[in-house]
Amino acid sequence: MTDRFLPVAELDTLFDALAADGRRIIGPTVGDGAIVYEELDGAADLPWGRVVESAPGRVRLGDGDPARAFDYGLGVTAWKRFTHPPAVPGARFRREDDSLRVEAAAGSPPRLAFVGVRACEIAALRIQERVMRAGPLGDADHVARRAASLIVAVECARATDTCFCTSMEAGPEVSDGADIAMAEIAGGFLVRSGSAAGASIVEALDLRPATEAETAAAAAQVRAVREAIGDPVAAEGLPDRLRNALDSPRWAAIADRCLACANCTLVCPTCFCTSVAVASDLDGIEGTTERRWDSCFSSGFARVAGDASFRPAVADRYRQWMTHKFATWWDQFGMSGCVGCGRCIAWCPVAIDVREELAAVAPIGLPSGPPPWPASPGSGRAPEIGTTPPPVRAIARIRSFARETADTATIGLAITDPAILAAAPGQFVLVEQPAFAAPPISISRIRPDGLELTIRAAGPATARLIDLPLGTEVAVRGPLGRGWPISTARGRDVVIVAGGIGLAPLRPVLDSILAERPRFGAVRLYLGARSPADRLFVDELSALGGRADLEIAEIVDRAGGDWLGRIGVVTQLFDQAAWDGSRVTAFVCGPERMMRATAAALERLGVARDRTWVTLERNMACGVGTCGHCQLGPFFVCRDGPVFSLAELGDAFMVEGL
Amino acid sequence: MHDLDGTGGSGLGGSGLGGSGLGGSAPGDLTVDVAGLTRVEGEGSLRLRVRDGQVEEAHLQIFEAPRYFEQLVVGRRPDEVVDIVARICGICPVAYQVTAVHAFEAGLGITIDPAVRALRRLLYCGEWIESHALHVYLLHLPDFLGYPSALELARDRRDAVEAGLALKKTGNRIVEVIGGRAIHPVSVRVGGFSRTFRRSEIRALREPLETALRIAERTVDLVADLPTPAFTRSGPLVALRHPTEYPMNEGRIVSTAGLDIPPTAWTSAFAETQVPWSHALQARDLDGRAYLLGPSSRLALAGDRLHPLAAAALTRTGLATEIATNPYRSVVARAIEIVDAVAEAIDLVETWAPAADARVPWSAGPATAAWATEAPRGLIFHAYELDDRGLVASARIVPPTSQNQAAIEADLAAFAPSVLGLPRAEAVLRLEQLIRSYDPCISCATHFLDLTLEEVS
Amino acid sequence: MTASATVVRTPRPRSAVPTRPRIGVVKLASCDGCQLTLLDLEDELLAIADRVDIVEFAEATSRRSAGPFDVLLVEGSVSTPDQVEELLRLRAVSHRLITIGACATAGGIQALRNWRDHDEIRAAVYPRPAFIESLAQARPVSDFVAVDGELRGCPIAPDQLRELLTALLTGRRPQLPDEAVCLECKRRGVVCVTVAGSIPCLGPVTRTGCGAICPAYGRGCYGCFGPRESANAASLAAWFERGSPADVARLFAGFTAWSAPFRAAIDTYGGPPGAPVAGEGSTDA
Repeated sequence: MTDRFLPVAELDTLFDALAADGRRIIGPTVGDGAIVYEELDGAADLPWGRVVESAPGRVRLGDGDPARAFDYGLGVTAWKRFTHPPAVPGARFRREDDSLRVEAAAGSPPRLAFVGVRACEIAALRIQERVMRAGPLGDADHVARRAASLIVAVECARATDTCFCTSMEAGPEVSDGADIAMAEIAGGFLVRSGSAAGASIVEALDLRPATEAETAAAAAQVRAVREAIGDPVAAEGLPDRLRNALDSPRWAAIADRCLACANCTLVCPTCFCTSVAVASDLDGIEGTTERRWDSCFSSGFARVAGDASFRPAVADRYRQWMTHKFATWWDQFGMSGCVGCGRCIAWCPVAIDVREELAAVAPIGLPSGPPPWPASPGSGRAPEIGTTPPPVRAIARIRSFARETADTATIGLAITDPAILAAAPGQFVLVEQPAFAAPPISISRIRPDGLELTIRAAGPATARLIDLPLGTEVAVRGPLGRGWPISTARGRDVVIVAGGIGLAPLRPVLDSILAERPRFGAVRLYLGARSPADRLFVDELSALGGRADLEIAEIVDRAGGDWLGRIGVVTQLFDQAAWDGSRVTAFVCGPERMMRATAAALERLGVARDRTWVTLERNMACGVGTCGHCQLGPFFVCRDGPVFSLAELGDAFMVEGL
Repeated sequence: MHDLDGTGGSGLGGSGLGGSGLGGSAPGDLTVDVAGLTRVEGEGSLRLRVRDGQVEEAHLQIFEAPRYFEQLVVGRRPDEVVDIVARICGICPVAYQVTAVHAFEAGLGITIDPAVRALRRLLYCGEWIESHALHVYLLHLPDFLGYPSALELARDRRDAVEAGLALKKTGNRIVEVIGGRAIHPVSVRVGGFSRTFRRSEIRALREPLETALRIAERTVDLVADLPTPAFTRSGPLVALRHPTEYPMNEGRIVSTAGLDIPPTAWTSAFAETQVPWSHALQARDLDGRAYLLGPSSRLALAGDRLHPLAAAALTRTGLATEIATNPYRSVVARAIEIVDAVAEAIDLVETWAPAADARVPWSAGPATAAWATEAPRGLIFHAYELDDRGLVASARIVPPTSQNQAAIEADLAAFAPSVLGLPRAEAVLRLEQLIRSYDPCISCATHFLDLTLEEVS
Repeated sequence: MTASATVVRTPRPRSAVPTRPRIGVVKLASCDGCQLTLLDLEDELLAIADRVDIVEFAEATSRRSAGPFDVLLVEGSVSTPDQVEELLRLRAVSHRLITIGACATAGGIQALRNWRDHDEIRAAVYPRPAFIESLAQARPVSDFVAVDGELRGCPIAPDQLRELLTALLTGRRPQLPDEAVCLECKRRGVVCVTVAGSIPCLGPVTRTGCGAICPAYGRGCYGCFGPRESANAASLAAWFERGSPADVARLFAGFTAWSAPFRAAIDTYGGPPGAPVAGEGSTDA
């Protein structure tokens, strides 16, 4: 379609056409001394003659050509405010006697038209779409909001001092992705439609074709912007440079200045991380959840059971942010997580300039070693929408309870939903109840008519779960994650190593193997626990002890009572190992430190890294890779794991604070 | 500070009878020692000793820990002072903020926009509504109806307590909208406010205020019918009086004894002294007379400035005269003032139009800044000296309760003989109820003094 | 494998907390605003009172109790010898002691006197200082007794008090984020007053919970919720110093001045306004 020309005086006809299409118009306007994206009544609300002057840590509104509306630059927060809002209602849970009712919040999102979207912002919307639409279903809220929005792009005619879209290949030219693309030139706008929805609106405006001179003026204008920005960030090989800079001394230097205030992530148009807040009535009978913007800079973001944080230092958090944006985003999604809009530079209260920090952390020419983890597929590890089976939410009734240790119990859940019953060993579920956060719990037994979950009371939610009366209903979301690849161990010897509660997700492995025992070679079970009283499934294991086709060895950190067995750490059990490591497939679960030691010991015994499987614990909050909490280098533990081989993990398993 | 269950308090929930060896030994004797007064703001106690029908001692003891605010503000800028002095009292922070800001504006010659003035008055209305509703329903009403607290009262009269809470919430809502939060609001600045307000934000208060007006009018009827001990006090009443408005943020200081001075001239008529039994300074007039501030004083001195709806409510009670002399009737005065504040708030909300700018520009410099306003509990006076850099060199803050303290003690002494014949628990309750009728804010009362004052030994 | 032994338990009442926990509300040196916040929960107050037993709350009830308390809410800083004694007693009779507000958690505004000579400041305010019993410093409760939880703020936020009480009643952990005010500010869509207006704001180093009121009302955060986790006050102070070096200490010398990170910034930049240059007064006495 050829470009058309919209005289500036008729700009309101476009607004009218968008309104006639049933849309509220969101666009730039002046608010509190900056440009904000808000609902506009008409073209008069646009920031005519206002320009943003931005520098690191400083944004001011200056005066420009009063006849121009779109010279301002960029708004404070990105369009994600509308496509991925700061707070989104989740579900409502209500107890009625023993029953639990769950209603997912469902609202039809407003039909919006975004006016004034920049090339970098289109790129950012596309990036968030890739993130939020990865996995089985994608994020329903985001999908619906995005589908209900129409993009009216206006190409930049002016660069600010914090722009670097050119280096990120995200602008300044608007190419595709807009429903309507415009360029503001003298006297009016070049208008081009980029979709059927855009075309019908443009058609209705009945505009004359643009002249060659007008088209040339627009092209020259954006060319000048590109030249003004230059190429401030050396992007060549940047992901690899960063992957090799995980131990850079610069992280600590940045942390001296970085406030970890999270502003960079909240103004970032691609940052997507969220947390779930719960609310309830005073009795905990009815509870609701709300998903809120969060940030990898906040302390709670990386907190796991027991209040430990896996990114305790600000340096860890900054490293996570920068390496995610510029390196591991490629691993995850096959694209950069940065579009060069420069908001993180402008809105940093202490003026940290990511362009400078990138050059300092990962300079060109830095001698590089092997990458810390194996390369991901070109399109990223995140599956495209619809390629994996969707998790479901099902109501489950607690039908059995067995105390395992002082703080751990196994509950049996009666479930009818076949999707959940199709769970595989190593997968996990989120267990929901009113008023509590939903903890991720690994499945400790899969039955034809339900699941067993072995739960340690690590916090109030888990404590409550193993304290609920029999017959109470909870909601279960799952099955989630990738389980143990048991079939790859067929015909091989199997070594199962568990530390403490780590035996829970391994019990289904044992169940599966025993169900088809002849298909496996020798099967050996090595179990560690803090003390004899901390051993799980004691009766079951003693019942299994008599089997000739199963070798079980146990050890405890501290003896007590009438314990006559071995004392020490689980790897000491390998001292007596008389097996051929090259024939072994190993499945390991326990505290991370124990798994690291076990992995090293198994490697010494000749077990291949791609046949040593571990399952990781992170704070999996959404279970489907959209909340961001459980990231570990290139991985979302919830979706790419929690079961990984050592070969897949590479150094990601060994770097502290990653 | 706290005794075992049920032995330290009073009212119906506990005996309230500490007492030395003299307690109740003869018909004309009474010793009352309430270790911790309840349903007042802050920590205080009552010590009263009557022997042979003669009051030997009537002390409102204030042992609220000193916090030295007048020293804390030294070296600070006017806007910082506005934030800091709010923390003197969590019940009436707006009174402190508005008094300070008026003082600085008067001292520095700053003329504020009428829209700002109106919004400040609306803010103050919010605090009056909240503070008065708190006192009437949660602190004072249980006394009249024989409950230890409004929480117990709510078991029998849930509707009444809920109505009071709704009224209180409306007051808080006003302060939240204008000030950001109900306690220690953040928007009051010298020259105006920290931000501009949209008409729609202010207009949104209209609906809850309309509901509040109906509750406020019912409240007047409720409290006017309460059984009330007979007592006639004497002594001057002091309040602000404004040419056209019911006194709140502006007016001249007047008294029933004929005083009439500008709000900046408090020190020309009153003086504070320190007494050994109290962390608060006591104020008296220069003739050494105790004087009373608060709703009853305002009604007596400026009742003709009430909003017509409040004036009608007062007439309906037929208690205008008794309110001026019987402190137990202050609950009615407060209810009338709630009607006044709600009615005026409605008028302000209806007519308010935004100012062009959040605040007028001003420059710091040396000044003597003083002002008086009407806090819910009565007249409050601030005076500051600003040095060449515009920083506070010295401060003087006189809250209502420290001014009322001497009058409360005098009234206790006058009233005590009339309870000698009552059962002890009831006598103590009457005395505590009397103290509560002044709505003493002990948190406010502490920490103030003018160094230049003479001591009374 | 066979099923593990199953213990069938008798269903029991759902309430996670023993019936009607005994709650106390007490104050030390303070303005009463934090305890007033409980009365400011107008919509829930009566429902709360139905579910807990408020056995001590002098501001609101004539019922008195010396304990024991399932939960004791303590307002105010420790400022007198009597308060120390009373606090130790209260700790002994309280299952959970929770400090509420900036005074109790950080010393409050009155802790600014901690930089000054106590006798001097007492003599400056009272003509007969001997009548006035107070400690040399106003200090947080946690300097004297173990604290099981805290609500920050000057005053505390009603939402957080509601959350605390709901969590208590439902047996869950209260959600009281320890991150920066900036997160809430950005969620609200407030334009950063520092970046866009050069207004100094303590939001990046201050704990969230207020709802980012000050920036939303066009001014900088004055830190009344005190330092957040990992508060890098030194970096923010160094940044302020580029704008107005003389004002750095002033910015931190507010309602949580005595908290460690803010105190360090104040000392680095010459002590609070109106006080002698930081010296012995700023060290623990």
